[in-house]
Amino acid sequence: MLEIAGVSKRFGTLEVLREVSLSVGAGEVVVVIGPSGSGKTTLLRCINLLEDYEQGTVTVDGEPIGYRLDPRTGKRQRMSEREIAASREHIGIVFQSYNLFPHMSVLQNIIAAPVRVKGVPHAKAEARARDLLAMVGLSDKAAEYPVRLSGGQQQRVAIARALAMDPKIMLFDEVTSALDPELVGEVLAAMQQLARDGMTMVVVTHEMSFARDIANRIVFMDGGVIVEQGQPEQLFFHPNTERVRLFLKRYNDRYRI
Amino acid sequence: MKEFAPLLHSYWYLLRGAEMTLLMAVVAVVPATLLGILLALLQLFGKRFARAAVLGYLFVIRGIPLLVLLTFTYYLLPLTGIDLPPFWGVVVVLAFYYGAFMSEVFRAGILSLPRAQWDAARSLGMSRRLMLQIVIFPQALRLAAPPFVNLCVNLVKATSLVSIVGLWELTMASREIVERTLAPFQIFLGAAAIYFCICYTLALYGKYLERRVVHGH
Repeated sequence: MLEIAGVSKRFGTLEVLREVSLSVGAGEVVVVIGPSGSGKTTLLRCINLLEDYEQGTVTVDGEPIGYRLDPRTGKRQRMSEREIAASREHIGIVFQSYNLFPHMSVLQNIIAAPVRVKGVPHAKAEARARDLLAMVGLSDKAAEYPVRLSGGQQQRVAIARALAMDPKIMLFDEVTSALDPELVGEVLAAMQQLARDGMTMVVVTHEMSFARDIANRIVFMDGGVIVEQGQPEQLFFHPNTERVRLFLKRYNDRYRI
Repeated sequence: MKEFAPLLHSYWYLLRGAEMTLLMAVVAVVPATLLGILLALLQLFGKRFARAAVLGYLFVIRGIPLLVLLTFTYYLLPLTGIDLPPFWGVVVVLAFYYGAFMSEVFRAGILSLPRAQWDAARSLGMSRRLMLQIVIFPQALRLAAPPFVNLCVNLVKATSLVSIVGLWELTMASREIVERTLAPFQIFLGAAAIYFCICYTLALYGKYLERRVVHGH
């Protein structure tokens, strides 16, 4: 479904990603963990080309995203903005800071892209939006503006907005990091529902217990490379590398009550 | 009260001058705004050459007093063979002059939106044109509204300079009356009061817009 092959990215002299390769199967939920600055968020943003990257390729369902290799010369070319926009339709992303459009109501936030980008008829888009709002438990908020919602509610709207484009894959970038602890649960529940429905997901998170519950596979990143990956039970309880063991120990020390 | 007799006799003439002032300001503010938006877009998204050209233009305009630009154009126009009635000549100068400042206001409005709004719009597959249209502009224009109104106030006051090139409006009308009545204080006090009423009303509107920006919806 999603193939990331040899992606490298630098900010000036800092190498943020170093030849990262990762493949995610259809319906699989991959959770990426690791310390701050390890490149997790950058990797997600490279997938739908919110960040350019210098090397490597990303494909979704075999379709290259953002860059294609010239068949004759084998050189890597950036696609046109139009092509990139078209491929972004298939990749939903939810951000740490929700990023709802503040001048639109909840309903308008959700239907704007389906109607204006995909050309879905208004009535159909609205019916779908109401279904999605029901799924995330916000049926009564369709007419509200984002400022009137709590962080958890805004984040659930953001999930519904991304889903409204019927993406093949969903990316979650630390979606609970900005939330009050009490509001985290409602957002995680919506994501769990989505995983049960068979959505292919790549999730960057610091919520370790959630990662354990939802993941088919855990990927640990540090210093711009994937250090280790494996089943949740294996990686959390029998890590192969010292680096992961240390990370989990520090994490446990900090969050033990 | 007797001292104000000249004003009472001529207030109608002053108001007609004010009408001309307002007309000129309104007619000039429309192309100035359009030019401002165009220049802002060019500077933000244009090719390198277009960006450099806009930057040079802003640089030049910012460094020239409006009065000099008006007089210069007044003498230049007949030489170029362009036959433009003085009113329209002045409107064009005002539009080009204020368009430069408007572009900075709009550019600032667009740039002050968090990058996250662009990310969200892009991630939904929107083309640049669509994101500008439905995500960026509606928010940027709201942010730009208070400084925009401020510039409009400025423009209204700047119209008083055009009497120097012989255009008749409130300031010119005042000077004519003063020449007849020899009562400069009373007449200019009246003119000042009219300018103040126009600008204060605009400023109040600007304050109202500012509150709306701060409090959202």
